Amino acid sequence: MAQSLTHGETALPADWRDLFALTKPRVMSLVVFTALCGLLAAPGSVPPVLAFSSILAIALGAGASGALNQWYEAGLDAKMKRTAGRPLPAGRLDPQTALQFGVGLAAFSLFLMLFASNWQATLLLAVSILFYVLVYTMWLKPRTPQNIVIGGAAGAFPPLIGWVAATGSIAPLPVMLFLLIFLWTPPHFWALALFMRSDYAAAGIPMMPVVAGEKSTRRQILFYAVIMAVGAIAPWPLGYTGALYGWTAVVLSAVFVALSVQVGTRTTGEGDMMRPEKRLFAYSIAYLFILFGAVVADHWWPL
Amino acid sequence: MTEETPNEPFDEAEYRRRQRSRANMMAWMLGGLAILFFFITIAKMQIFS
Repeated sequence: MAQSLTHGETALPADWRDLFALTKPRVMSLVVFTALCGLLAAPGSVPPVLAFSSILAIALGAGASGALNQWYEAGLDAKMKRTAGRPLPAGRLDPQTALQFGVGLAAFSLFLMLFASNWQATLLLAVSILFYVLVYTMWLKPRTPQNIVIGGAAGAFPPLIGWVAATGSIAPLPVMLFLLIFLWTPPHFWALALFMRSDYAAAGIPMMPVVAGEKSTRRQILFYAVIMAVGAIAPWPLGYTGALYGWTAVVLSAVFVALSVQVGTRTTGEGDMMRPEKRLFAYSIAYLFILFGAVVADHWWPL
Repeated sequence: MTEETPNEPFDEAEYRRRQRSRANMMAWMLGGLAILFFFITIAKMQIFS
């Protein structure tokens, strides 16, 4: 049973660790890294304190999105093993506090971005927060198995915001980095959804394996992996990056597609350990980290 | 975890501990932000001068 929040009539103040957990720190790390790469790959130089503040604003915006997502999905989270221990479903935090925290953090992140950077980056940050909370969390996720495909745009904003924070304008390369994360999201999340299928089914979330079945999901993972690989390599022949990024993208994407072929062409029986799916999920995280690192390395130390 | 009943004695020590840890956290964050905003202002002044 959930722990009570009150002792008689007096509510306990929320523990700061629970507020921190509300921001989904692990997701935030990927957001911060891709935003930093977008900022570092941009032409020109930004004073370090402004760069730090812009990245902090993006991190806080991502944290606010995570908090508002957990506030809205507390009921669903309680039904899934993976998320039942989060502060809201576990009863360690009351929804009102979570909502106030999320809205306050979102407002502050926008203020900080405007103060440290420019209105263009602030506008993009506001759009990404609203897109994640309103379009993905509230509208798409409970309604369609395509939730991840369209909702992936929310997670694709950070490198674009980082670049715009540094330059004040949009260019082809950050748009391609946006597309890369956008196309990476479906195979990444559907690999997770394959081995967490029962959890999503229990919560009634229409994830692809629950609605369309495993076979169709596996085919679509492979389909998106191939498009993503093309999108990842494209900046090299188009002249927006050099050979360092290009070869890194070729090698890493080839491994991604190979792992996706494994997942896409297999059938599973009762009690399957889902090792290829778990491997693809873990690799997809490393893939994005290394590829974005290569974008920066290519900009600073071109071959 | 256990569900607490309204009759359970109020845990004053836990209440104070959480209040204190949040107050400390808030103080550090506000202090950090004051310093950050100071340096942002200096950096902006250098850009525009």
